[in-house]
Formats: sequence, structure tokens, C-alpha cells
Amino acid sequence: MQTAERAGPGSDGPRPTAGGGPDLAPGAGRARGTLLAGRRPGRSSGRWRALSPSSWLPALVALGALSLAWQLVAVHNPTVLPTDTAVLSELWHSPGLFWHDTLVTLQEVAVGLTSSFALAFGLAVAMSYLKVIERAVMPLAVVLNVTPVVALAPGLVVAFGFDLVPRYIVTAVIVFFPFLVNSLVGLRSADPEALEVLRTLHASQFETLVRLRLPSSLPYLFAAARVCLPLSVVGAVVAEMSSSGDAGGLGSLIETASAYSDLARIYAAILVLAALGLALTLAVVVLERRALSWRAPASGS
Amino acid sequence: MPPSPEKDGPAPAGLVLEGVTKSFRDGARLISALAGVRLSVERGRFVTVIGPSGCGKSTLLRIAAGLLEPDAGEVTIFGESPRRACASKRVGFVPQSPALLPWRTVLDNVRLPLQVNRRATPPSGLGAREPEEILEAVGLGSVKHLRPAQLSGGMRQRVAIARAFAFDPEILLMDEPFSSLDELTREVLRHELLSLWQVHRKTVLFVTHSVTEAVLLSDAVAVMTARPGRIAALVPVGLPRPRGDLVELTDEFRALERQVRLELRDGSRPALGAPGSGRLATGEEAGGGADG
Repeated sequence: MQTAERAGPGSDGPRPTAGGGPDLAPGAGRARGTLLAGRRPGRSSGRWRALSPSSWLPALVALGALSLAWQLVAVHNPTVLPTDTAVLSELWHSPGLFWHDTLVTLQEVAVGLTSSFALAFGLAVAMSYLKVIERAVMPLAVVLNVTPVVALAPGLVVAFGFDLVPRYIVTAVIVFFPFLVNSLVGLRSADPEALEVLRTLHASQFETLVRLRLPSSLPYLFAAARVCLPLSVVGAVVAEMSSSGDAGGLGSLIETASAYSDLARIYAAILVLAALGLALTLAVVVLERRALSWRAPASGS
Repeated sequence: MPPSPEKDGPAPAGLVLEGVTKSFRDGARLISALAGVRLSVERGRFVTVIGPSGCGKSTLLRIAAGLLEPDAGEVTIFGESPRRACASKRVGFVPQSPALLPWRTVLDNVRLPLQVNRRATPPSGLGAREPEEILEAVGLGSVKHLRPAQLSGGMRQRVAIARAFAFDPEILLMDEPFSSLDELTREVLRHELLSLWQVHRKTVLFVTHSVTEAVLLSDAVAVMTARPGRIAALVPVGLPRPRGDLVELTDEFRALERQVRLELRDGSRPALGAPGSGRLATGEEAGGGADG
């Protein structure tokens, strides 16, 4: 049950009719505890478990081994990999450059994500009320989903120039489908008997949406966000690489550095991108923990 | 079947079901769930519908609640259609699962009916009970700030019942609300419902598959046949109220249980059902009678 909950909403495969929704409904825990559960017993113990060496030591060892191997390659083949000191000094000596490009990429991600989410969620609300809209939009969304979005980028650059607009579009398009499907499944995951209770109270469609369907969809929306945030960074970087101009961005930075065979700069930019992805994902996880604190205390992971 | 004979005045009928018929489509087959159900529940009475599983009890309740439309027949709640009765918040529906909103605290769950369809919410102090008062009455005063996930199954069901009482509907429609609980919790909750009802005297239509539960709670037990569902008999329960913990041990109680069981068995006989329903009926009979 626990694993199903975690895996369920995250899967963004083509599930246009979303028939399997209720089985995976994260809120539908019908566990029949016979005693009053204490105040989140899992919480504090989970935090302590995260601090014990048995949880972080293996990852640390693996990281150490990897950087050692990297260093060996870098020292003997400077044309394959830069040494880590070279990468770090690159970051150290021109922080302004990286900071500027990071902000550009971050802006693309923010604009692309929010506009895509707004559109996808709005469409999902419409689809959950009107089957016709679902039948009209879903096939197009599926086609969009199977199209390699990377291929769209050069065309968009031709159309909109070396501006931020094509980057916004690529970023938005790449995350649109997971947002749409998860929003729809989430909105439909509302407890059918709770829906019946609201119907017998003659609650309006709007009240049902705000008081039941929307909160029910939150776990799915967060699952989508966890998938979509790293994906949107990919979209932004790909778009930047095919339109590397004055607009900047970490993708452009990599593209330019590549022209000068500047390995240290390339890997410094990649390092920043990885940190960016990690920070964004962490932010979502923290936000999710707060927003979904009402869920049955799950084993932390 | 005529409604229960012992009337104590010109009580207007609270809920009237007249010739209610409903079938469902299952692929190519048309399954007849209800065939001409006739039942009336007078104002302030507690009537239980009992029958083998799959006999259409829940369908009947959903038709009474206006959640399903009957193919034929008429339903009125205090003279109005179920939908209109719902629009004026006179119907309290208690589904099989507690159907609480997990992100709301216990108190906020109980407040929910007061927050939607506000035009029909009675002004505070007039009719509507304070949610906190109701929670105290069902022994949930100390957990009102917890969330459903932190409660036991029995407590969640109590919240669902409190939610139905809190907006002071005139009729309560309850769909096997205790069926998912363990036997001991179920017994406690039955008596809690009894004492709540003793105070508020709502009109209640209660669906169950437990003979003991039916006899303990009701003024009359309507026994349904297996598919297609009809009311086979109406067994009046004349046990004095308030009914305490010991009422279940009396001979009178046992005799009533026996009577309901016999009616259930008669109603499930293949000969009485439509052609083809025999297999279903014998299969379900064990389930219906195994209680207690």
C-alpha cells in the first residue's frame, strides 16, 4: 500500500482515461487501526534515522570512490575530464558569470512551469466536468508527449528569434503532459462517498471543486511537480543550447565553453545545474511535507 | 405491505417510496435491482431495511437520497422530491465508509455541511447544533483537533455520524455505517446511535445486513428479498424505549430476531425471485443470515 501510494501518482505514462485512479488514491487509506494513533509517531524517529551514520555513510563512500576515479582519469587524460580543483576554481573566479546564467535558466524554468501548470490544471478541471473536452484534448496531448521536444527547439528559434520566448515554450511543453494527466487523475481521485455526501447537501460544483476535488488532487500535483521540476530544467537547457545567444543561461554557457574546449567551465556549469535541480526538488519535497501533513504518517524516505 | 399499524396520532409520512423500480445495465444484460418497492417511514420513526447482500438495499437508499433516479415509481421526503429536500438540507446521508476529508480536522469535518450550500444553512442557534456540542455528545470532544488518519475506525465513523447530526437534517439515510467495524466497536456505536436518536428523534432509514442491529435500533424492520429487491415483510419492533444495554438479552428481543430471520429466509427462496435469481439468492443467504 505504501509503495503503491508513492509510485501511483508519479507515473506519468499515457493513462488518458485515468480509470485506475481510485486504486492508487493516496488519501484513501482505509487502514483500520483499532487504537487512537499517537501524534505522528513516525516523524521524530524518521528524523533521527536520517542522522545516523548507517543512512548517510554508504552514499558518502560511493561519492568518495567516484571522485577518486574522476580524479585519476582527469590527471592522466586532461582532454577527457577536468580535475575537480579546476572546476571549483572556475566557479570561484567568476561567480558573477555563473550567477547571472543561473538566474536566466531559473527564470525560464519558473515561467515555463507556472504557465504550463496553469494551462494544464485549467484544462484538467474542464476535462473533469466535460468529457467532450477530454476527448478533444487528450489525443493531442498524447501526440505532444511522444514528440521529442528537443526537436521543436530549432523551429521555435526560427520563429521567435534568440529570445527567451522559445525557451519558455520548450520548458512549458516538456512538462505539460505529466501536469495534465496528474491533475486529471488527481481531480478524479476524490472519495466517491464524500462526493455523495456533498451531493446530498446540494453543494455547488464550485464548492465541490474547492472543498473536495482540489485538495484530493494535491498529492498527485506534488508527485507531478517532483517529476516536472528536473524535467523543466532539461527543457530550459536544451532550448538554450539551440539558441545560445546574448540571452544567456547555463545551456548557452556550456555551448559557448564547448566552442572554446573549456572543459572546466562546461563541468562547472553542469555542477551548477545539478545543484539547481537538487535545490528545486528539495523545495518541492519540503513544501509537500507541509501541505500534505494530513496524510497518514508514512515511513519517511 | 401496509405501514406499521400502531400509529400514535396523525403523523405525516416522512419518507414515502411508492413502486420504486430500478435496473442496471451490465454489458448486454439488464439486471433488475429493485422491483416495485413500497415503503413509508413516518416522521420521527426509525426504520431499518435488511436483506441479503446485493438485494438493492443501498440502491434503495441512494434513490431515497436523490443520488439515483428510479426507472419508475415515486419518492417523497416530507412531500418533496429528494432533490428538493437535499437542496433545503433536510437530508443527512451517512455512507458506508466515513468519507471524511482527511485534510480537515475532526471539528472541521463536522462543520463541512454547514459551510456548503450556505443559503440552506439554518441560522446559528436556530435548529443547527453547535458542532462542538455534538462532538462532545459522541465522546469526541478531546480529539476534535486531530485529523481522521489519527483516529481509529470506530472514531472515524462517530465523526461521520456527528457530521450528519450537526446540521440538523430532518431525515437521516444511513447505509450500513457500522459494517466495516469490528464487532465490539459496532456494539458500542449502535448504543451511541440509539441514545443520540433518543435525544434528537430524527426520521431514519437505516440499511443493514445485521439482524441484531436492525431489531435493536428500529421501530420497524423492512425485510427485502434477493434480487430483484422488494419489501417482503415489515416487522414492527415494539420493544420499549429507551433501549439499554440489556435489551438484547430479553426473550422478546430474541423472538423478534427469530421472526426477522425467518422472514429473511422466506424472502430469499428462489421460488419467490424472478427466473434466474435463484442461484444468487442461495449464495447470498448465508451472508445475510450469518450475523449475530
